[in-house]
Amino acid sequence: MAIKFEQVNYLYPSFDGSNFSALENIDLEISEKGEFITLIGETGSGKSTLVQHMNALLRPATGSVTIYGIKIQKNTNKNKKIKLNPLRQKVGLVFQFPEYQLFEETVLKDIIFGPKNFGVKEDVAIERAKEVIKLVGLTEEYLERSPFNLSGGEKKRVSIAGILAMEPDILVLDEPTSGLDPKGRDALLELFTEIHKKLDKTVIIITHDMNTVYKYATRVLVMHDSELVFDGNASELFKSENIVKWNLDLPDIIEITNQLEKKLDISFNTKPHNVDELFKLMKGVL
Amino acid sequence: MKNIIVGQYVPGKSFLYKMDPRSKILALGILMVSAFVFKDITHIIYMLFGVLLILKIGGIPIMRIARGLRPIMILLLFTFSFQVMFIKTGDVVLETVLTLTYINLGLMVLIILGWYFTRTYIKSRFLFLIFVILGILTMLSLFTPGITISSSNFVVYEDGLLGASFIMVRLIIIVTLSTILTLTTKPTDLNLGLEKILRPLNIVKINSEEIALIISIALRYIPTLLDEANKIMLAQASRGVDFSEGKIKDKVMQIISLLVPMFIISFKRSDDLANAMEARSFIPGNPRSRIHILAWENRDTIVIIFCIVVLISTIAVRVFL
Ligand SMILES: Nc1ncnc2c1ncn2[C@@H]1O[C@H](COP(=O)(O)OP(=O)(O)OP(=O)(O)O)[C@@H](O)[C@H]1O
Ligand SMILES: [Mg+2]
Repeated sequence: MAIKFEQVNYLYPSFDGSNFSALENIDLEISEKGEFITLIGETGSGKSTLVQHMNALLRPATGSVTIYGIKIQKNTNKNKKIKLNPLRQKVGLVFQFPEYQLFEETVLKDIIFGPKNFGVKEDVAIERAKEVIKLVGLTEEYLERSPFNLSGGEKKRVSIAGILAMEPDILVLDEPTSGLDPKGRDALLELFTEIHKKLDKTVIIITHDMNTVYKYATRVLVMHDSELVFDGNASELFKSENIVKWNLDLPDIIEITNQLEKKLDISFNTKPHNVDELFKLMKGVL
Repeated sequence: MKNIIVGQYVPGKSFLYKMDPRSKILALGILMVSAFVFKDITHIIYMLFGVLLILKIGGIPIMRIARGLRPIMILLLFTFSFQVMFIKTGDVVLETVLTLTYINLGLMVLIILGWYFTRTYIKSRFLFLIFVILGILTMLSLFTPGITISSSNFVVYEDGLLGASFIMVRLIIIVTLSTILTLTTKPTDLNLGLEKILRPLNIVKINSEEIALIISIALRYIPTLLDEANKIMLAQASRGVDFSEGKIKDKVMQIISLLVPMFIISFKRSDDLANAMEARSFIPGNPRSRIHILAWENRDTIVIIFCIVVLISTIAVRVFL
């Protein structure tokens, strides 16, 4: 197991002395290879807080998170012998808002910032930057531009490139496709699928788009009111009655199928994943 | 970061919350002047007790204020040491010769190294630092074997000690009083109160509304910016910036990686704020109506009279005692 949560609770302190509980009793295991996980849940349910535990940015208030054999607990940072920094190279986390990390004069410098912090030689890092900038759908010309004059979507891509260049073992992305056009979104998702399939790495994506969940995920996690309420595969999730309670909705294709079944008064024995499958199912009954 | 509580409103129910912001600001002003009128250590300590009493009646936990004072501890320590070192009048409290020899120089280096490596394990680091400094001074005066490198007289005078404590207490009082104001007054109320109080400045063509607005926006954004700073630190930490350690060269890089996004975000925030205000038809200088009308009540008058009495008595104490 690459990452293991055991009874994790997390509290955000607030000024009036009370605490806001953002995670409650989370138990979770994530393997190093071969998973494509989507993490969903309504706004404020604790998704971002959860993923920030995965590379030891936040420490649990109670319980523990074990990342590559290193156990992170409430007072782990007091002990200087435990080095948390290497964990952040292994588990690369792309933040929800790119504004929080871009700071260099050029996109190139910003992308090589991460790798250099982890001891990669500058020329190697530059080579990587040239590769990843293309992977995220931008051209090499962008490397010389200032990260502050980019559009929102371009900033997002640059911030993803900055993490990809660190070559993490596990890639965690907090809403990587928000604010992107449909084509750019699909291209990025294909990229993550490729990273997942070709390099056999685990990819974890936070998203609000059920189509993405249904199309790509091998495993779905659902957060609701600071708790992890579902851990399983997508088909199972979308059959569940709790969808409404958790403020989720159905992917378009399932919605269409349900409507068809109702209007035509038929029922299919499976739910299709794409239009072709639906077409086959239709042919079968007609 | 979370310790900085100046400028942060915390909801509550005590009489401090029910008071009119105008009377609170006025009372703060009057009490601050009183704190400056006092010249004597015993009197200012009485005043400190008075302030503690206000906290008690107002239902504000003293620990919260103490936490808020932590960031200015270093400042307090500096003023205290300078006062003690440079005021050379009054009775001599302590006179000793500080002698630096090769042996205790070595010991001193060892102690400092020891402090450096153990400080992260100690809970109240500040007390630990003071303890170490006092320890070194004691050693320099009492334990002086070996060849002398240099020696100097170290004399503490009564006036120095008293003056230092005096200034420290005064600083604590001032910070506590201002914290009480911002802790118990909503930014919007504070804004309105300031505006009303600064109204007389309109005669000399200074727009009190704008000043009040600037001040209240600045106060309002302190906690927001701290929050942003925290988020940026997390984002940079996930790219391998280790804020807890690093050589000087790395430190510079770390600070740049924090400050640049900080600036960008604050500019963007103020731009957004300006747009949002404009979108709601805010025009600087135009007369505006208010939802909340400030109501001056009897308790406000009583508080102000009380504060004025305090001020008059402090002046009396200063003049006649
Ligand atoms: N720095 C903070 N201080 C205090 N409370 C916070 C802080 N960050 C988040 N919270 C609270 O913790 C809860 C969970 O926040 P989190 O950012 O994890 O939500 P999320 O599921 O990622 O939401 P979104 O889909 O909007 O990104 C929220 O209710 C939020 O108000
Ligand atoms: Mg989030």
